[in-house]
Amino acid sequence: MEAKKVHRALQLVASLSIDKASQVFSKMIKVGAKIELEKVYVADISRATEELMVTDDFDVIGAFVDLVGDMPFKFLFYVAADDSLALTDLILHREPGVTKKFDLYVSSTVQELGNVLASAVTNVFASDFQIQMKPTPPQVVHDFASTVFGEYIMEAAADQNEILMIESMFKVVRMDIKCRMFLLPKGDTQKTLSGIIGAA
Amino acid sequence: MAKRIMTVDDASIIRLMIKDILVECGGYDVIAECSSGREAVDKYKELRPDLVTMDIVMPEMDGIQALEEILKFDPDAKVVMVTAIDQRESLMKAIRLGATDYIVKPFEADRVMAAVQKAFGVA
Repeated sequence: MEAKKVHRALQLVASLSIDKASQVFSKMIKVGAKIELEKVYVADISRATEELMVTDDFDVIGAFVDLVGDMPFKFLFYVAADDSLALTDLILHREPGVTKKFDLYVSSTVQELGNVLASAVTNVFASDFQIQMKPTPPQVVHDFASTVFGEYIMEAAADQNEILMIESMFKVVRMDIKCRMFLLPKGDTQKTLSGIIGAA
Repeated sequence: MAKRIMTVDDASIIRLMIKDILVECGGYDVIAECSSGREAVDKYKELRPDLVTMDIVMPEMDGIQALEEILKFDPDAKVVMVTAIDQRESLMKAIRLGATDYIVKPFEADRVMAAVQKAFGVA
C-alpha cells in the first residue's frame, strides 16, 4: 500500500516536472515542443537495459546530472546524435540544417539542455514540495543509448536489483525530434519520500 | 568607448548566445570567456572587465564562490548572475553578496540587455 502511495507521489512529481520542463524546452528552442510522460515504473535493472538495447539501439548524445540535496536523484537526458545537430540550430535560432557536424557547440547544446531540464525538475521539488535540491554540472557522453543507459544505472545496480524509472518522450512539433529523460532515485530517496507521504 | 564584458559559463553555447546578444546590441566587447569559477576569478584579476555575466552551476568553483572572490578583490565589480535554477534562495544569496542582477535561463535577448544596462545605470 505504502509502495503504491510512493509511486503515485513520484508519478505526480514526474508529471509536474515534465510540464515545467516542457515549458522551458519550448521557450529555449522557440518552437512548439511537447514532453510527454510515457511511463513511471519499477524495472529490473538488467531487463531495463535489455529493453533499451532493442528500442534505442542508436548513437546518442546524453547529459548526466546529479541532483543533490534533500532527496538525491540521478538525471539523464539523451537525444539521437543526428537530431542533436538540429537542436543546436534551433537553440541558436538558426534554420535546422546549418550545423552539419559534431562540434563543441553540439555537445554544449546537450549539456545545457541537460542543465536546464534538470533544473526544471529541482524547481518543482522546491516550489511544490519544499524539497531543496540543486543540479551538479552536467557530464556529456556520446555513445550508444544502451551504453549510456548502462553507465547511468551502474551506481544504482551495485545497491539494488530494481530501479524506479521515469521515462518521457520529447517531441518538437515541426521537427519531430525525439529525446528521452530519466530520473533515478538514489540511496534513501524512495524511503525518504515514503516517510513524507506517510506523514502527510 | 565600448564596455568590456567577460562571460562565464561552462556551456560554450550560452557564452556564444550572450556574446551574440551583446554584439548585436552594440557598444559592448566580449573580451574574455571562462568555463569555470576559478578561471573567472583569475581572468577578472588580470583583465578587470567592466561587467561579468556569471553562471552559477559550474565545475571547479561555482558562480556564487566566484562572485565572492571577485567582490573581495574588487568591491565595485559588476556581476550579473545567469542561472537555470529559478530558486529564490540561491538568487537571494547572490544578490545579498553583491550581484548586480540575475537572469534565469532560458533567457530572452531583452532580459539580458535590461540586466546589463541596469548594471551600467542606463534606463
